[in-house]
Amino acid sequence: MKRKKRTNKIIYYILVTAIGFLMIYPLLWMIMSSFKETNTIFLTAGSLIPEKFTLENYKNGWKGFAKISFGTFFQNSFFISITATIGTVISSSLVAFGLSRCRFPGRKFLFAMVLLTMMVPAQVLMVPQYIWYSKLGWVNSYFPLIVPYCFAIQGFFVYMMYNFIEGIPRELDEAAKIDGCSYFGIYRRITLPLMVPALVTSGIFSFIWRWDDFMSALLYISKAAQYPVCLALKLFTDPGSTSDYGAMFAMSTLSILPVLVIFIFFQKYLVDGIATTGMKG
Amino acid sequence: MKKLKSMIYKESVSGLIFVAPFIIGLVMFLIVPLGISLYYAFCDYNILSPAVFTGLENFKTMINDELFWKSLQVTLFYTLVSVPLKLLFALLVALLFQKTTKAAGIYRAIYYLPSIIGGSVAVSVLWKRMFATDGTVNQILHALGIQTTISWLGNTKTAIWTLILLTVWQFGSSMLIFLSALKQIPSTYYEAAMVDGAGKWKQFLKITLPLLTPTIFFNLVMQMINGLLAYTQCFIITQGKPLNSTLFYMVHMYNQTFVYYKAGYGAALAWVMILIVAIFTSLLFATKKKWVYDGGY
Amino acid sequence: MFKKIVAGLCASALVMMSAVPAFAEEEKEPITMSVFWWGSQLRNERTQQVLDMYAEEHPYITFDGQFSDDYWTRMATLAAGHTLPDVVQMVYAYLEQYAEENTLVDLTPYIEDGTIDVTNIADSVIETGKVGDGIYAICNGINASALFYNKTLLDENGIEIHDYMTVDEFKEICREVYEKTGYKTSLSYGAYTSETYMQYLLRAEGKHLYGDGKLGVDSAEDLLPFFQLYEDGLNEGWHLDPSLYVERTRGQVQEDPMIYGSSPENMSWCGFYASNQLVAMQAAAPEGMDIALTTFPNDNNEAAAWLNPSQFFCVSADGENPDEAAALIDWLTNSVDCNNVLLGERGVPISSVVAEAIAENQTADDQEVVTYINEVVTPSCSTIDPPSPSNGSEVVALLDSLTEKLMYGELSAQEAAEQFFEQANAILAE
Repeated sequence: MKRKKRTNKIIYYILVTAIGFLMIYPLLWMIMSSFKETNTIFLTAGSLIPEKFTLENYKNGWKGFAKISFGTFFQNSFFISITATIGTVISSSLVAFGLSRCRFPGRKFLFAMVLLTMMVPAQVLMVPQYIWYSKLGWVNSYFPLIVPYCFAIQGFFVYMMYNFIEGIPRELDEAAKIDGCSYFGIYRRITLPLMVPALVTSGIFSFIWRWDDFMSALLYISKAAQYPVCLALKLFTDPGSTSDYGAMFAMSTLSILPVLVIFIFFQKYLVDGIATTGMKG
Repeated sequence: MKKLKSMIYKESVSGLIFVAPFIIGLVMFLIVPLGISLYYAFCDYNILSPAVFTGLENFKTMINDELFWKSLQVTLFYTLVSVPLKLLFALLVALLFQKTTKAAGIYRAIYYLPSIIGGSVAVSVLWKRMFATDGTVNQILHALGIQTTISWLGNTKTAIWTLILLTVWQFGSSMLIFLSALKQIPSTYYEAAMVDGAGKWKQFLKITLPLLTPTIFFNLVMQMINGLLAYTQCFIITQGKPLNSTLFYMVHMYNQTFVYYKAGYGAALAWVMILIVAIFTSLLFATKKKWVYDGGY
Repeated sequence: MFKKIVAGLCASALVMMSAVPAFAEEEKEPITMSVFWWGSQLRNERTQQVLDMYAEEHPYITFDGQFSDDYWTRMATLAAGHTLPDVVQMVYAYLEQYAEENTLVDLTPYIEDGTIDVTNIADSVIETGKVGDGIYAICNGINASALFYNKTLLDENGIEIHDYMTVDEFKEICREVYEKTGYKTSLSYGAYTSETYMQYLLRAEGKHLYGDGKLGVDSAEDLLPFFQLYEDGLNEGWHLDPSLYVERTRGQVQEDPMIYGSSPENMSWCGFYASNQLVAMQAAAPEGMDIALTTFPNDNNEAAAWLNPSQFFCVSADGENPDEAAALIDWLTNSVDCNNVLLGERGVPISSVVAEAIAENQTADDQEVVTYINEVVTPSCSTIDPPSPSNGSEVVALLDSLTEKLMYGELSAQEAAEQFFEQANAILAE
């Protein structure tokens, strides 16, 4: 009986490891390609291990374009992603709390609007938004890449946090109310600490999405020195001429590092979160 | 002062203060541009010169636009197939790795990784190499003794499946949401069930699944919207080929707007899609009462 | 090595510049000028470098050099917001559209008052920037369509290519190559040159693709030879399988079936390109593969071929300094120092003086292209067709989609020609 359990466990681990390998194969491929000589990447696309291990791509890539190194692009990306993420998390949690815990006129309508923000394809807004932002004088600045997110404009986050808050027992609020807590007090002292997993999840998503959002950067940022990483990466490939795939893969590898670190670091908050606070049930 | 204080304690006033950022954001960053685009939907607008009002002309064009119907069909098929598969996979993985052990943490990270690289050039290059006639997939099939020369990407019947696979492979965001929801289920429930002698499977059916239904519903709504508005997979890998069998609706719209400079028609296409998404979403919400648990914990 | 040459040249250019006594510039208000282009890393670096050089000569100017991929999406939004940069790069296909919508400045006055010096430039080249009565763009390099071929492969098998091949001769070679080596053929579909090749075939017969609000041909029969080539290739087996074009990124030289593939079955001995792409193609080719170029197959090269403006610079109507922008374009066109850095990367320089002056600094591949332009195309070509009409991009998409259907066996060549005739006329009539 015990032996059978053990075999099962071994089979289980072999299976999840094998599937895990399939899952990250593409990533491994990209990382390994970044160490191949750039003109052999396509010719040896079938094999994972570089024939000749080289760091040339990292050197070439880091140089960047027209005297602007990737250090600058990384700095820009961090600035944009971090500020926009903080704005997103704070504003979305406030709005989600309001929608979940307070009854006020127009609440249902606003909730429908939250859903609507998710239904609008970004591509349809590109032209009108550009015209509008250029009227506001925001073109050629980071405003379009940051400010809207500080106004809970992504319904996904509001809706997700709303769902989460709905799962938190209302009895806690009532108790706090009796103790004389204002709504803001309840938000800050009770709800916020309890919704850490939702905040962290949102933070991770928001950071990744801002980090990868090359379209708004393409439209609104014209000075190369202000480019974020995702946009700079695209400059390595140019149809009709030689693209430096090696440098691109090298810089792509570097560009997923921050996201990876953030995920690994924060995932423990995701999983620990509520389970250990013991406030449930 | 006292009046102000009592105001803050009033539910409706507090509520409005809490949602104020959203109201401002909504008007400033969404309603205004959306309004402009709604106007364009009824115009002949080539981006370079001012829009000219043409009434329902764009919508008439749409009825006769072969690619409109084709792309709509492709998008619906893609959504209906990829979304359930993706959610199933995400839930399975979340259940497998919900423990707080170190190993589970590492596996979670590994399984989440594909979602990080998203729609990069690396993915596009790799996907093409994997599903080509002489690609990795066929090589593996050969090794297994299955002789095939099918071009997974170049065949009109299989191309869409490679895109569906890509979508399912990037299931990470749904998995994370499932994970955080699983953690919300009080462990006392399971302890009680164990005392009653319920097995793992029964615990899953009687406790986990019902308590997860709000999250399943949330993920379903999200992924369905994402599916209908999908764009990247097609844009970076197939560009709608072969024979438009992978032409996503959004890519058709993008082409009309930015390749042919028919921004008015593009806006009309967008509004039709917004309407379709709204209908699907409200249908889903209409079924919510039937299967989603809303009793709190 | 190459970088060193450029750096060396640049240094010597600077020395030369400082040797000339600086003109007593009158005090000028400081201005910022934005210049927008697309291109490879190499082009970005060289262009930025010449802008820096120009700014050094004209200290009151600060440049805001912008380069981007997804160029036309960005151009569209820039135009919509009336925020186009002072100087923009342009292609023939979009020129008419942008000029007609008043987003560009008519350069005729600048040419007349000598701000833009055209003495060393052929009239026919200046003409290419003409829309209606105005000249809206100055070409910054000349190229011509060219059939690239794997010379190494053909030499090994004793197959010889001569310039000005006819369509029948070309087909014969496709068959021969396929029989001897198994290598297949990739026609214009593989390289986004279908419109060009269609124009070649029509011009060889004295006809044109675009007429006024309709196609320039009177019947589907005229269009048939283009589609027939594909049908023959597929029937006889020498054309590549269409699925390959989904598996590769079209227009990306590293993935071109000419230089990349696992067996002759998925490789091509040739490709339909523009001459200035040879350098990139050769750079991406595996060692030991020599790629050469010749004319597009057609039955009357003198009528069919033309010298093509590879791209243009334009002055946008949104810019605040059109005079300075025009002066910059003149410098980009006529300055030897500047072009010693650019080195004809955008195409052969249009000023004969400049073209000659930079020749010695160019690589062997660069010179192969120059020789092709000067000795193969120039003696046997005629005037370029007027710019494509503004809905030309839809016609091109239609041509591509019908070719694809043909390759997948959904249409015969006859049906494809008929559908193209009917539907393209409908698009152009709008």
